[in-house]
Amino acid sequence: MADSSGSGGKPVADLDSRFSNLAPSSTGRKKTGRFNRFDNPLLNWKFLSGAGIFGFIFFLIFLGNQFWDTDLALAGSSPLNMPPVGFTNWRDQEGIPEHPLGTENSGRDMLALLIVGTPRTIGVGVIAASVGMGAGILLGFMAGFVGGIVDDVIRLMTDVVIPIPSLLVLIVIQSALQREMDLVTMALLISMFSWAAPTRYIRSQVLSMRESGYVQMAQLSGVPTRDIMYREMMPNLLPYLAASYIGNMTGAILQAVGLELLGLGPQRIPSLGVTIFFSIEAAALLRNMWWWWGIPTVILAVVFIALLLINLGLDEIANPRLRKAN
Amino acid sequence: MSERKTHESDRVVLSVDNLRIHYATPQGDVIAVSDISFELYEGETLGLVGESGCGKSTTAYGILQLVQPPGYIVHGSIQVDCTEVLHLEEEELRKFRWTGLSLIPQGAMNSLNPTMRVKDQIIDVIESHEGKQNDREALRERIFELFQNVGLPNRIYNMYPHELSGGMKQRVCIAMGVALHPTVVIADEATSALDVVVQRIVAQTLVKVKDEIGVSLIVIGHDMGLLAQIVDRIAVMYAGKMVEIAPVENVYANPLHPYTQLLIDSIPSIKERKPLKITEGITHDPRNPPSGCIFRLRCPFAWEHCADAEPPPFNVEDKHEVACHLYDEQFEERRTNALATLANP
Amino acid sequence: MGSFSLNYLLRRLLVFFLTIWVAATLMFIIPRLAPGDPISAMIARMSQFEGFVENADLIIESWRKRFGLDDPLYVQYFRYLGNTLRLDLGYSMGNFPATVAELVGRALPWTIGLIGISTFIFFTVGNLCGALLAWYKSPKWLKVMIPITMSFTSVPPALLSLLLVYIFAFQIPIFPELNAYGRGMVPAFTLEFIGSVLYHGFLPSMSIVLATFGYWALGMRGMLVTIEGEDYMILAQAKGLKPFYILYRYMIRNAILPQMTALTLSLGLLINGSVLVEIMFTYNGMGSLIYASINTLDFGLIQGTAFILIVSSALAVLIIDLSYPLIDPRISLEGR
Repeated sequence: MADSSGSGGKPVADLDSRFSNLAPSSTGRKKTGRFNRFDNPLLNWKFLSGAGIFGFIFFLIFLGNQFWDTDLALAGSSPLNMPPVGFTNWRDQEGIPEHPLGTENSGRDMLALLIVGTPRTIGVGVIAASVGMGAGILLGFMAGFVGGIVDDVIRLMTDVVIPIPSLLVLIVIQSALQREMDLVTMALLISMFSWAAPTRYIRSQVLSMRESGYVQMAQLSGVPTRDIMYREMMPNLLPYLAASYIGNMTGAILQAVGLELLGLGPQRIPSLGVTIFFSIEAAALLRNMWWWWGIPTVILAVVFIALLLINLGLDEIANPRLRKAN
Repeated sequence: MSERKTHESDRVVLSVDNLRIHYATPQGDVIAVSDISFELYEGETLGLVGESGCGKSTTAYGILQLVQPPGYIVHGSIQVDCTEVLHLEEEELRKFRWTGLSLIPQGAMNSLNPTMRVKDQIIDVIESHEGKQNDREALRERIFELFQNVGLPNRIYNMYPHELSGGMKQRVCIAMGVALHPTVVIADEATSALDVVVQRIVAQTLVKVKDEIGVSLIVIGHDMGLLAQIVDRIAVMYAGKMVEIAPVENVYANPLHPYTQLLIDSIPSIKERKPLKITEGITHDPRNPPSGCIFRLRCPFAWEHCADAEPPPFNVEDKHEVACHLYDEQFEERRTNALATLANP
Repeated sequence: MGSFSLNYLLRRLLVFFLTIWVAATLMFIIPRLAPGDPISAMIARMSQFEGFVENADLIIESWRKRFGLDDPLYVQYFRYLGNTLRLDLGYSMGNFPATVAELVGRALPWTIGLIGISTFIFFTVGNLCGALLAWYKSPKWLKVMIPITMSFTSVPPALLSLLLVYIFAFQIPIFPELNAYGRGMVPAFTLEFIGSVLYHGFLPSMSIVLATFGYWALGMRGMLVTIEGEDYMILAQAKGLKPFYILYRYMIRNAILPQMTALTLSLGLLINGSVLVEIMFTYNGMGSLIYASINTLDFGLIQGTAFILIVSSALAVLIIDLSYPLIDPRISLEGR
């Protein structure tokens, strides 16, 4: 038989020094390349780049609030229909440095609109996702843990709510209310539908986790249910919950943008969706005012892509198998 | 119990030589199988035993070319009927599989595709090696015959795996494993997931089918008692090394390697209640095995020499090999003393 | 196979009817939560908006009759449920004397067609791409190309359609930007008309497909990665089956089941998205109908369109759920 590699040339004469074997060896160094060098799951490039984009957006918003006059987002504060610097509009006007990203047809400065509108759009998502997620955690844990009739009812509720295209109900509500609503009301309305998906998701996670050995051990040894939930299950559920939260946020922003595109959002201080709605109403496509609808569209797209990246990253953090597949 | 048929042939059907398999981890490679060599004779049943993590299943998957990443074969040679398995191209390997080497898997519970009927899973293996079978009636008869061999009722032909019991699923796997009359069948813990009664029946089915069809069989397991009844020879593995290989009677009557002695001693007996001699598993870091003998950290007889050199396999009697320095002729005195303490603890 | 349990069937039907009931009840309650008499308020705003309302009295009459606003609330409610069950959704105020049911009936096939074809495309393409991403035998260039085409994933389809209209209808005008078929054409089963429908439907369905198929690809890939570790995959390999056979019979076949579930879960979002896409293209479907009725404050039409779309969604989920036991042999065991 060939010599066993890994002895490392270290003479071990004394049998009692068995622990010296635990010292790290130099074998296998060539193969470590097949692993992610950053084995810490949080150092996932998708998660990091998504979070990075988000951080950068907020940094820009912060800078904008410091150095730009946000009152320019109000109608009539600026000249109309100006193109961004370096471009000309259909009237052959050159862009001017006072309005680097141009203006729209009621005299709002595009840069100021973005600085004001972007956090409003994201804010709707945060509020709606938080409320929906809170309800989802509560209901999901109840269903998964209490079981029985409670589980049946909650499961039925989610099954009924999930296929409902929520945008349509929101349209009915908005048009019945007949008055412009503020951002928070809109977010709360959206959250009426954003609890069902996380509830379903958390319930199934709780159920499968309940079957797992360590939770059953804890139950057998008489640990109170509440402690099992918070101490044993929550930490393991966290990446799933985070991914679910981000998915929820994406959904909520999508709903909000949908309502705004229909002209049903708060319009006095426009968010990104409302800005696009105005541009469509004013036939900006025909007039080739691409900066009006294009810039907010790109920003929204970047926000959505960042959210997706974070979500995918969290998925890989929660499920090591996906990580390995890269 | 009837007299067990032992193999007569001396023709080697499978020969494993110097096989080494590693699992890559960020902290370095884990040595799962460390330079093992053995041969399997035609019509023989070889048992491969050892505690969990000793590399017995990895050896099997290595022979089958199914080591899953991050595992990989470092070096070695695996010959089945003079075909070098490690040199086969992808398509050659595909054709070789199941005709040369087949597998009866460990977790029969999950080893069948849940969305395919039992018959389709047997038909697909036949058709992917023998081409499309146009005579469906003959194909059906052939599968019924396989069912009969393993004691399965014909009614399961059209069933899905979830409709079968654990024992039935395991028999389906056995029927599937011998469907193409392969040269060598490897049964990887084929009975571990079953309850004791079913275990015994399935094990007997395995031996019966093997004798009827005339294949050579490697049975991997940790139940020494069960293995004793179905195998001809036993190979004992410890931490990726093969420490002893011998005809089954010799191993039980006269275990030579200190580890084998511990293993045999650990078979529970109704007659006396004795404290377990094996109290711990493999203790060393598998990334960095001790120098010399792999077992010396747990060996009751170890001395300085064990750390200095790795014991080669000593051929003690006919077909009985053991890798332990005690059987080196120059240490005969030490061996006598050791065996004496073993006799009077 | 095919013999799924009564329990399963009953539960699915219960969910279906409950969804319809919840939708109808919401449509009943929401206008009543708004301040004031819903009908007078509506008419008042409509007059404000358009100067005057044709046949306002008739509309008020029909609505009063429909809602029976002087009856106790529960009588109103049950009458409303009864009317809704008979698909009597009242008159459209903006298009009087057309009924809501007529208008919806004209628009619904377009929406079903758009969503149906888009769903077929993104589900097929998405799952295929996901499978190719996970499969060890796929060529390297495919594994680079597919993620690139997926970069529009998660951008809302409505915004994507804005982009596509700008590029392919204005900048490089190779596709029409409006309507579901050519101007002045009369819907008929002629090659010309069908060609025109496909031509007009290309950009709208592309916006939905491009924005969604990546999700399905990622989902499929994730499922396959999980399945690859299953015991039956190792056995399939040991059996020496052909790689492509393993891919579709062992991997995709088992991964498609959870993907179908995911499809039922995402139908609501899909309809949301396609409503907006229709509006961007003024496609002749339900989305454009609801947009027009928002602009004319035609509340009955908004209600009716929303209700029918919710029912369609629930019906689609029911159909997928009931076909599920045909795909997954294990479902039939449930409740036995």
